[in-house]
Amino acid sequence: MAAVALAGPAFLLLFALVLLPCAAVFVIALTDWQLGARTLHFVGLDNFVELLSDPVFRRSFRNTLVFAGGVVPATLGAGLLVALLIEAGNSARAVYRAIHFLPFMATLAAMAVVWEALLHPTIGLVNQAFQALGLPTANWLRDEDTALAALAVISVWQNLGLAMVLFLAGLKAIPPDLYDAADIDGADEPIDRFATVTLPMLGPVGLFVLVIVALRVIETFDTVRILTEGGPAHASELLLHTLYVESFDFLRTGYGAAMAVVFLVIVTALTLLQAQLLDRRMHYQ
Amino acid sequence: MADLTIDRISKSFGKTRILRDVSLAVQDGEFLSLLGPSGCGKSTLLRIIAGLETRDAGSIAIGGRAVDALRPKARDVAMVFQSYALYPHYTVERNIALPLQMRRLSRWQRLPLVGRLLPGSRSARAEITTEVLGVARALEIEPLLGRKPGQLSGGQRQRVALGRAMVRRPAVFLMDEPLSNLDAKLRVQMRVEIKELQQRLGATIVYVTHDQSEAMTMSDRIAVMMAGEILQVGAPHDLYMSPVDRRVATFVGSPPINLLQAALAASGDVTVSGRCIGAIHDTGPARPLTLGIRPEVISVTQPSIKRLTARVRLIEHLGSDVLVHAAIDGQAHPVIARIASEPAHTVAAGQTIGLEASPGRILLFEADGRRLDARWRGTAQARPLERVS
Repeated sequence: MAAVALAGPAFLLLFALVLLPCAAVFVIALTDWQLGARTLHFVGLDNFVELLSDPVFRRSFRNTLVFAGGVVPATLGAGLLVALLIEAGNSARAVYRAIHFLPFMATLAAMAVVWEALLHPTIGLVNQAFQALGLPTANWLRDEDTALAALAVISVWQNLGLAMVLFLAGLKAIPPDLYDAADIDGADEPIDRFATVTLPMLGPVGLFVLVIVALRVIETFDTVRILTEGGPAHASELLLHTLYVESFDFLRTGYGAAMAVVFLVIVTALTLLQAQLLDRRMHYQ
Repeated sequence: MADLTIDRISKSFGKTRILRDVSLAVQDGEFLSLLGPSGCGKSTLLRIIAGLETRDAGSIAIGGRAVDALRPKARDVAMVFQSYALYPHYTVERNIALPLQMRRLSRWQRLPLVGRLLPGSRSARAEITTEVLGVARALEIEPLLGRKPGQLSGGQRQRVALGRAMVRRPAVFLMDEPLSNLDAKLRVQMRVEIKELQQRLGATIVYVTHDQSEAMTMSDRIAVMMAGEILQVGAPHDLYMSPVDRRVATFVGSPPINLLQAALAASGDVTVSGRCIGAIHDTGPARPLTLGIRPEVISVTQPSIKRLTARVRLIEHLGSDVLVHAAIDGQAHPVIARIASEPAHTVAAGQTIGLEASPGRILLFEADGRRLDARWRGTAQARPLERVS
């Protein structure tokens, strides 16, 4: 009885705010409900069939894969590099850490507005700097070829801080004795130290960061909504944004729910993968 | 194998002086221990020899060759760490093979898949495997070669660490308290094994420890270090019988040496707690002294006017011996006497007993700790603290 009383409130909240809406999404995906309508009809899997041939959804899905495929490795690589540099330095570590972590802490919506100003084709700082250096400029957010790439850069900039702090923690956990042993064994060049000690010891942390960052990247919404609204011509459309637009702009909530189901499947698959990988890696000292 | 010369090494971390002008010569094939309490600088000295720390002044030479400018891998030393420092993600075989791989294979040949296809790689790797197997057999860890360190016990990991050091056949082995993380029984067993290994290989070993019994049982010579200085270097027996400093006398030997407050008169008479126990030659002015008497030197007798009396506080039974803790009037600390079990069954707590010791085994220390090397006068006469017959 005490167990029910203690766990009860938390379970009720979980049920009401997570499980019930989740179940509702699955149900609504099988209907043609419009947001605010009083009636709905079951249409079975019609929504899913429509998804398969919807050019906007297909573009959005492909964009999300390309986006994640570019941003995740770049974030991990840059985050690791920055963590290694900070760890190797002797002074002002806290300052460098803070500088690189700030983008992660900042409200993305506010930062998006700043980026809009930076990426402005004529008065934006980016184009002014590029011009001064003789590099080609472009209308970053309004050009079909560059819109997604611009969003990708912003995403790397933002998630780098997260990858960095996690890698920093991982680096600190490496026993310094191992580096001493490596020195005496002959692995004293930086690249040998990295390959023999650092990288293998960062393995589990690396996997964890990979999945965490991948989840965040797939859930990108703010930048798309604020900077490009998915345009031009759906060139920078990402899954969560498409889902939002269908459900709440076009009010085709049933169709949007079907997209949500697809999205949920991807996220769940990633989370399960992470749990599997971490579980296997837990068994060493 | 080679000899090792340490010449006036000094090291400070910030304002703290860790090592002060330390000099030491280790012979080829010698087992030398650096013995001292925590914080005395012995590990720092070892790391300086290895090249893992830089020195502020002085020089190190191995086999007659100055190594100060050389990086650790070029100094031909191998180190066994207290935590073993095995690579947790490599198998035992890879752990032992790594030093050889680093030296004999180029970076291209070391690449995971491609490296094996390069010319010369196969024969080099085969050679390395043979040597690793040889070392594994010598240390009896051949069945463990496919496991990772996380799957091994403490003793097994220790052997792998030894194997990794041995496989290189270095000029000098450096060991930093390698047995500290083992349980007592395993420690005693490994002591013997390491000593036998050293004798078989004829290896030069510098062994850092804070455990005086470890140092005493394993070493050819011991260098006792305190507060960044070497107080005395000598064979275990010499350190035990003729310490040059009170600190050395207290550190070596278990139970620790008994220290009694005494006074030296200008005439040469030595008095303990008001009772004159003898006289020495060549004294100098009257001054306070400390007497050092080893527990096994004291014999327990009937109390009498002629002997130093004490009251028994505690008896410890060790099986073959008995330790008698007794308080002497006027002395701050109780003395511990080690006597054989048989006569000891007559001694009980609370009893008053007499104490005797042969003057030849009584050490005299000045107030600043230096040993006063003096001869006792008239040893043929019976003295209160003298053994009868």
